[in-house]
Amino acid sequence: MTSQENTLPKTLAEADTPKEDHPESDSSTNNSMDEFYALRQELLLSTLVISGVVFFSVWWVYTLNVALSYALGASVGMVYLRMLARDVERLGPEKKLGKNRLALFVVLILVAARWNQTQIVPAFLGFLTFKAAIIFYTLRITLPR
Amino acid sequence: MDPIVSAASVLAAALAIGLAAIGPGIGQGNASGQAVSGIARQPEAEGKIRGTLLLTLAFMESLTIYGLVIALVLLFANPFA
Repeated sequence: MTSQENTLPKTLAEADTPKEDHPESDSSTNNSMDEFYALRQELLLSTLVISGVVFFSVWWVYTLNVALSYALGASVGMVYLRMLARDVERLGPEKKLGKNRLALFVVLILVAARWNQTQIVPAFLGFLTFKAAIIFYTLRITLPR
Repeated sequence: MDPIVSAASVLAAALAIGLAAIGPGIGQGNASGQAVSGIARQPEAEGKIRGTLLLTLAFMESLTIYGLVIALVLLFANPFA
């Protein structure tokens, strides 16, 4: 028997064996997903750092109320990014992308519009902080050093 | 509020969210479908594909969010009221 024959599955049933029976293929999938988990972690951390810097800057330039509106928006943005990452992680033939996370944003805008202590524009810009983190990440990996 | 202004605001809000959802909806569907088929072809690149999909979906979904902001501001914080 040649080496090529050794690598081929002997029967059709063996070829259709589910992935759970092959620990080595599971570990390679887990290793490839590490890159995704690292990206998610980096984006969340960058969002947190940018939010902190902007929060204190806004507090210094404007008032505490404006800064708190910004912080509210930024925290909702982080939860939104987490939900998006979870949806992308589970995406497959059985699980489709949901739109539930948009409800989170609607609640944020409603609270900012109805509650006198908060303002819409800082809350909305706070929500968009995660986008700044994504842009920084994209620039970092695409621009030549 | 002037009834014409409120009627126009409700119509504008409906158009804003409705039209803003069409393009990103098509784009997200295409991107997700291609990503799933790419993962099926190359399972070893799953993390890279899902990471790229996360970045692109975040950008695409923001277009819907902009329409949603316009609609919500027209409904709940109308500057023309």
